[in-house]
Amino acid sequence: MAEEAIRIENVTKRFGDFTAVDDVDLSIAQGEFFSLLGPSGCGKTTTLRMLAGFEVPTAGRILLEGDPVEDVPPHQRNVNMVFQSYALFEHLDVQGNVAFGLKRKKVAKDEIVTRVAEALELVDLSSRAAARPNELSGGQRQRVALARALVNRPRVLLLDEPLGALDLKLRRQMQIELKAIQREVGITFVYVTHDQEEALSMSDRIAVMSDGRVAQCGPPEEIYEHPREEFVAGFIGVSNLLEGKVEPGGKVRIGDDCLPVPGLDGAGNGDTIQIAVRPEKVAVDEIGADAYAIEPDMFTVEGEIESKVYLGVGNQLTLKLGNGSRLVALEQATYRMRADEQWEVGQKVKVGWHPEHCMVLS
Amino acid sequence: MTSKRFWDWFIFPGGVWIALLFAVPLCLVLALSFGHVDDFGRGVYGFTLDNYKDVFDPTYVPVLLRSVGYALATVILCLLVGYPVAYFIARHGGRYRYALLAALVIPFFVNYLVRTYAWVALLSDQGLVNNLLVDLGLSQQPIQFINTPFAVIGGLVYGYIIFMILPLYGSIERMDPSVIEAGKDLYGSPFRTFLHVTLPATQAGILAGCVLVFLPAVGDFVSAQLLGGPDTYMVGNLIQDQFFAASNWPFGSALTVIMMLFLAVWMVFYLRRASRGEAEVL
Repeated sequence: MAEEAIRIENVTKRFGDFTAVDDVDLSIAQGEFFSLLGPSGCGKTTTLRMLAGFEVPTAGRILLEGDPVEDVPPHQRNVNMVFQSYALFEHLDVQGNVAFGLKRKKVAKDEIVTRVAEALELVDLSSRAAARPNELSGGQRQRVALARALVNRPRVLLLDEPLGALDLKLRRQMQIELKAIQREVGITFVYVTHDQEEALSMSDRIAVMSDGRVAQCGPPEEIYEHPREEFVAGFIGVSNLLEGKVEPGGKVRIGDDCLPVPGLDGAGNGDTIQIAVRPEKVAVDEIGADAYAIEPDMFTVEGEIESKVYLGVGNQLTLKLGNGSRLVALEQATYRMRADEQWEVGQKVKVGWHPEHCMVLS
Repeated sequence: MTSKRFWDWFIFPGGVWIALLFAVPLCLVLALSFGHVDDFGRGVYGFTLDNYKDVFDPTYVPVLLRSVGYALATVILCLLVGYPVAYFIARHGGRYRYALLAALVIPFFVNYLVRTYAWVALLSDQGLVNNLLVDLGLSQQPIQFINTPFAVIGGLVYGYIIFMILPLYGSIERMDPSVIEAGKDLYGSPFRTFLHVTLPATQAGILAGCVLVFLPAVGDFVSAQLLGGPDTYMVGNLIQDQFFAASNWPFGSALTVIMMLFLAVWMVFYLRRASRGEAEVL
């Protein structure tokens, strides 16, 4: 792993009786795109604000490149923040906004001019240098906020839901641009978001937070494919949760069906456990017909189609299994979407998935 | 469409009211300012510029300058006192915010004259403050507060500070707190952030407050009459005396017109600034 940019050691933050951040431990590498992901109130923004210096931890330590900074006020920390509301200075034009930090740091005038021009170039706003913030569109304001922070060449850039106020299309575009800019400047990004898709698509690593603690931390693939608990499985993508009893031979009994589940090492026989299957990993076939979507090594059960939603890219089927549990299947249009071959509600079907796609939750 | 016509008629009562009780008297004042006084001391309409010449007579110019000076001092003091108060209530008042604002506004339900009399009771030679000072041995003799410029300016500050605090409160409260954080995040010390971020972001409120305090303060006569003496005579007193004591209505009218023109310049300046920026026009 590359050198450590940030270390958060056993950090707790309380506001009165409320514990916003509860004993969080994180290590963020130099140059990493690191996301704090979670629902509102999970402590992700408070964590970010502690990195910026706007909040002081109740307990624990924060190290910035090895130096403890918990008690360093924000204006003396070499980190910069992109605010959710952008927090642009309305009385200054775009250049004035971008130059603000350099002026406070008393950088030489001609250097300020060059660096501001570079930063505006980077975010593709050179043509609007003399505009006032209130003359800019939401996307442009967002870029100003980004340039205003990046121009200072901070050790770490903190981003608090920076794309939250943009519409979906612009958001997607900015996600790609942000990631490209991050690669270009090589600065460590700590990115707060409640949007799982955003976190998955941009991050090198994600820390999923819930109720002030880190539920799971790892690369996007690991978070998505191997969630360790129900909260993570449910928050990142959609998951089918099934409850069953552990049986000998690495199997789990759900109702009448007994299915093989890998990764049961920790659980003893007879324990009740939860397993999850992603909807896009559930295959559905007609009973009696040739196997179309279901592959030979899949585990199969029978079920009935309870409802069907057409999504364009596919069908979302809600299936009722023999034991009464429900399962959502996302059927890709590549499998079975001929107009003459539509599913009917109430139709009996065969449902299957690969055993290795079962995720055991603690 | 008839209904829209119908509602348009409602402008009449108010329109007539303003025309009769505001515009007409104003025109009378304007007309009288070109008139003169007859042998019996009554104002007579006519056309002469003598009254306007008198306004700029060396006898009265110091009064005008003093009024402007006192009003400016009042504005500055109101700003220095009012900004921290407004800032504290807006940013740290929390759930007591409205209670604190009410506590500031309630004294202003009492008539300005009565409130100023209260200051006489406090500050006169035999007043509460002087009695306390003498009794505690802090001063041998009563200190003369009344009849000093300080007392008059103090009275003006007390009388009009709410007009400073309310617009300031409005603009500070409406300001996005993360803008202040952005200032600190971009290496601004608390003082520099205040200077370069908070102050410019609230300039609309500052401008509104300054105009709203300056306008009534410069024409005020109550504070100078009750708390001042001959040396603190303001243009408001001068005008009042022309109408009630000296019975020179034409001269009083000319003074009034000049004052109004002077204030109108300020008002235009303010309104232009306010419409360019997003200042609140109260």
